Amino acid sequence: MLLKLRELSQRKMFDLLSQIGIENFIGVPDSTMKYFISQGLKKKKIIVTTREDEAIGIAAGMSLSKQNSLVFMQNAGFANSISTVTSLIQLYEFPIVFLIGWRGYLKDDAPEHYKIGRIQPKLLKAIGIDSKIITDSNLKECCKWAMNKINNSIPCALIIKREFHD
Amino acid sequence: MIRKDAIKIASDMIYNSPIISANGYISRDLFEADDKDTNFYMIGSMGLSSSIALGVALKNPRKRVYVFDGDGNILMNLGSFTTIGKLKPKNLIHLVFDNQSHDSTGGQPSNTKNIDLYKIAKSSNYTAFKTNSKIGLEKIFRKIKNMNGPIMILIKITKGGKPGKRITHLPVTIKKRFSQNL
Repeated sequence: MLLKLRELSQRKMFDLLSQIGIENFIGVPDSTMKYFISQGLKKKKIIVTTREDEAIGIAAGMSLSKQNSLVFMQNAGFANSISTVTSLIQLYEFPIVFLIGWRGYLKDDAPEHYKIGRIQPKLLKAIGIDSKIITDSNLKECCKWAMNKINNSIPCALIIKREFHD
Repeated sequence: MIRKDAIKIASDMIYNSPIISANGYISRDLFEADDKDTNFYMIGSMGLSSSIALGVALKNPRKRVYVFDGDGNILMNLGSFTTIGKLKPKNLIHLVFDNQSHDSTGGQPSNTKNIDLYKIAKSSNYTAFKTNSKIGLEKIFRKIKNMNGPIMILIKITKGGKPGKRITHLPVTIKKRFSQNL
C-alpha cells in the first residue's frame, strides 16, 4: 500500500497541531486521514458532525470564543460547503484551518471522485483559500505555516492526497 | 402572533445573554427590535445559526446561549439537532420561530405544516416546549429559568408583518463586538 502520509505522520500531525495551538477538531470523517482522526478520538478531542458546513459553523462559534479550530473533511464535502466558506468564514474573517482529504487525485480513484477531484486545486484558488499539500517530509513546516495564517486571522487549507486504493 | 412581536418578547426576556440569529428577516427583526453587542447576526450561511451557537455554548459553559432560528433555517441543517442532542450542552436554548414558510423569499411554504419540529427536538434529547401566544412564551421563559439545556422552544407564529430594516453593521464589526462581550 502506497500511503504518502503514513499512519505515524498522521498521528504526529494531530499531536503537533494540538501543541502549537489548535484547540478544537471538528468535521466529517474521511478514510484518507483516518489515523489523524483516530489520534484525536483517542485524546477525546474530536467532534463528528453530520455535514461539513455544520462543522464549519461550530468552528466559527468556537472562534467567537477566541479558540482556534481545525475542520476536517473530504474534498467532496468541501465542495458542498463553498458558500459557507464564502458567506461565513471569509465574510466575517474567521481564521479556521481546513484539513481536506483529496479524493480523485489518482486518475483511477472511484468514479464519483473523478470530476470534483480534478478541479479541487482550482476551487480553492477560485475562492481565495491558500493551501499546502502535506507529505511525510514537510509535515512540521505545513503545520507551522497553518498556525501562522491563523495567527494573522487568515483561513487556510492543508491537503492530504489520496494516494492509495482500498 | 407575528414574528416581529415574538422576537421582541424573547429578546426582552433574554437581556444581555448571547443570541445567535438566523439569516433573513429573523436577524433583521432582532436588529430593529433590540440591537446590542451580544447579538450575532448571521447574515449568510443559511441553516447554521444553531451550529455557531453550539460552538459558543461549548466554550462558554457559564453563559446561557440562545439561538433565534427559523423553520426554513433549521430544516436546512436538521442534523444539528442530533449533534446538539448528542453533546447535550446544558446552556443552549434553541428558539425556532415557525411560520411554516420562507417569509424572507416571498412566503413560499416550508415542510413544517406537516412535520412537527417539536417532536424531532424531543427525540434528539432536547427538553422541548411549544407555544403560539405571547403569554405562553413568557410562561415558558419563566419555567426554563433554572432548567438545564438543551432546550428547544417552538414558537408558532403567523406569516407577514413588515420586516425590520437591513443590518447596517459590517460583518467583522458584528463578530468583534460579540466576541469582546462573551
